[in-house]
Amino acid sequence: MHEYEAPLKPELAEIIKVKSETPSIKTFDVRFVDKKLQKQFAFLPGKFVMVSVFGYGEMPISISSSPFEKEFIQLTVNAVGNISNAMHRLKKGDLIGLRGPFGRGYLLQRFRRKNIVFFSGGCGLASIRSAVLAALAKKDMFGDIFLFHGCKSSKELLFGKEIANWERRNSLNACVSVDIPEKGWKGHTGFVTDLIEKKPLPVENTVVLMCGPPVMVKIAIQKFKDLGFKPEQIYASLERLMHCGVGKCGHCNIGREYVCVHGPVFSGSQIEKMHLEEG
Amino acid sequence: MGYFLKKQNLIPYLAHLNKKYQVFVPAKNHNGATCFEEFSGQELCLKERTLYSVKDLYLPNKEREFFFEKKHGSCKIHETIKHRPRIVFGVRSCDLHALNVLDKLFLEFYGYDPLYKNKRNTSLVIGLSCSEPCETGFCASMGTNKPDFFDLFFWEKKDGYFVEIGSPSWEKLYHKKFFEETEEKKGTPIEDCKLELNTADLEDILEKNFEHGIWNSESKRCLSCSSCTEICPTCHCFTVEDNFLLDDSGTERYREWASCQLQRFTKIHGAILRASRKSRLRQFVMHKLSYFKQQHNVHLCVGCGRCIQVCPVKISLVDIAEKIRGEGNA
Repeated sequence: MHEYEAPLKPELAEIIKVKSETPSIKTFDVRFVDKKLQKQFAFLPGKFVMVSVFGYGEMPISISSSPFEKEFIQLTVNAVGNISNAMHRLKKGDLIGLRGPFGRGYLLQRFRRKNIVFFSGGCGLASIRSAVLAALAKKDMFGDIFLFHGCKSSKELLFGKEIANWERRNSLNACVSVDIPEKGWKGHTGFVTDLIEKKPLPVENTVVLMCGPPVMVKIAIQKFKDLGFKPEQIYASLERLMHCGVGKCGHCNIGREYVCVHGPVFSGSQIEKMHLEEG
Repeated sequence: MGYFLKKQNLIPYLAHLNKKYQVFVPAKNHNGATCFEEFSGQELCLKERTLYSVKDLYLPNKEREFFFEKKHGSCKIHETIKHRPRIVFGVRSCDLHALNVLDKLFLEFYGYDPLYKNKRNTSLVIGLSCSEPCETGFCASMGTNKPDFFDLFFWEKKDGYFVEIGSPSWEKLYHKKFFEETEEKKGTPIEDCKLELNTADLEDILEKNFEHGIWNSESKRCLSCSSCTEICPTCHCFTVEDNFLLDDSGTERYREWASCQLQRFTKIHGAILRASRKSRLRQFVMHKLSYFKQQHNVHLCVGCGRCIQVCPVKISLVDIAEKIRGEGNA
């Protein structure tokens, strides 16, 4: 049995850098105040931390930095609610609370010598970026790497320069699609899920790692399956409301699973059994 | 051989325990509803099980988790104060089983919850037998009619209680002035419940009939008032929120009961994941009779029947489950 205390107490962390990515998304570089904690902090891409903005509350945020980065942790936050908007008002030097990492991440070490398709929508690229950085750091371990990303408009493209850099260095094949194009946009237009049929992809020996809004996840899984992917080849990160991160508060319950402890990354075969859209 | 406590000795016995412990007894609260109240010599309500369950003592409806003290631009995190040792008297068999179910989640599943453990480990539980089956209960079907997980259990007899010993901590509750040796035997659990629920393979049957028509028809009557989740002895979901303190000394974090019957329970940016009453009512029944059993091998429902008792439109999870078993796919 699990005879240990569930980590509910946040640890103090300092914001050391704030970067505006898009009009509504900022990336915060944070570091635990306790140096020992910062040194010990290890995580798998896809895992999340509970971030406290004192006085406003706590929210689950995926880690967007590389697991090999030991000096700081990057949190990419979309300002959509009360807490995330409060976080956007914080500046360099301000203190937040952190606890975690929680959940199960992308098990990259299991995908040795396989091709990887990273697939993300909107702010879902945050957790995918961590996995991309980890995969690129050990590039020899894997086959071909693809990145498909979709967002609402070119203004809201997250990590645009970074994606271009990865592509220029031939590290991966990237393809970005916007729903509504603006002047000067040269890339694809339309939903990111439309790229699945348009782009030639190897099906054999390939895994798909996915993170994005629930609608995208649902459609994308179906389209990958139509291409011939087996559900075991697909891994998707699900998004749910969470208040504890340790399987107690009940908000993230889907059937027999709690997204916070059994997920957020689930395999396609697990997701097939879940009742995702209950209406 | 066992112990016996005479009825006229009950109040003096509780008063004796109250010297060292904080004692909770079944009594009426300020609204006239029966619940577990701090003992103060008041009249006890021992006739039937309380309306509010013993859950309220272990998972209070609002509870402070932390206090964040603001000082010179820095922040100090204070944990909540520890509790005085407690004794809870008069816990019925269904509520004893409810505590066991909560233990699975709050003590064993992915780390223990310090707030719950603190209260659970410092409190002793004295059970009390039921003499009559309750109006809406179905404990015999759930197997929760047989008392378990107690320190002492009082079996009601003609002029007193036969005392059954349940844990090594019982000695803390023993006092020779009140307990006398007896040749009497313990009583028998309630078997003739008014409602019946067939639990054989119930979790699979419900899972297979996720789209059964009864969810549509029952949810048309449901008011989403969340009475069922509030009154349920095993409903444990909570929300964590922060507050600024008015004197600007810092902020506090507290947890408060949440209900899966309310839309905000699954609200994320841009979507409410269980927006319809149908999906929310289904979540309640499925969590009670299917999901939790699949996860922890015990039903989250203990058959106390409180949810049926308080439902303003008389929706009954027994009726729903039995109807699905009768009509659904096997």
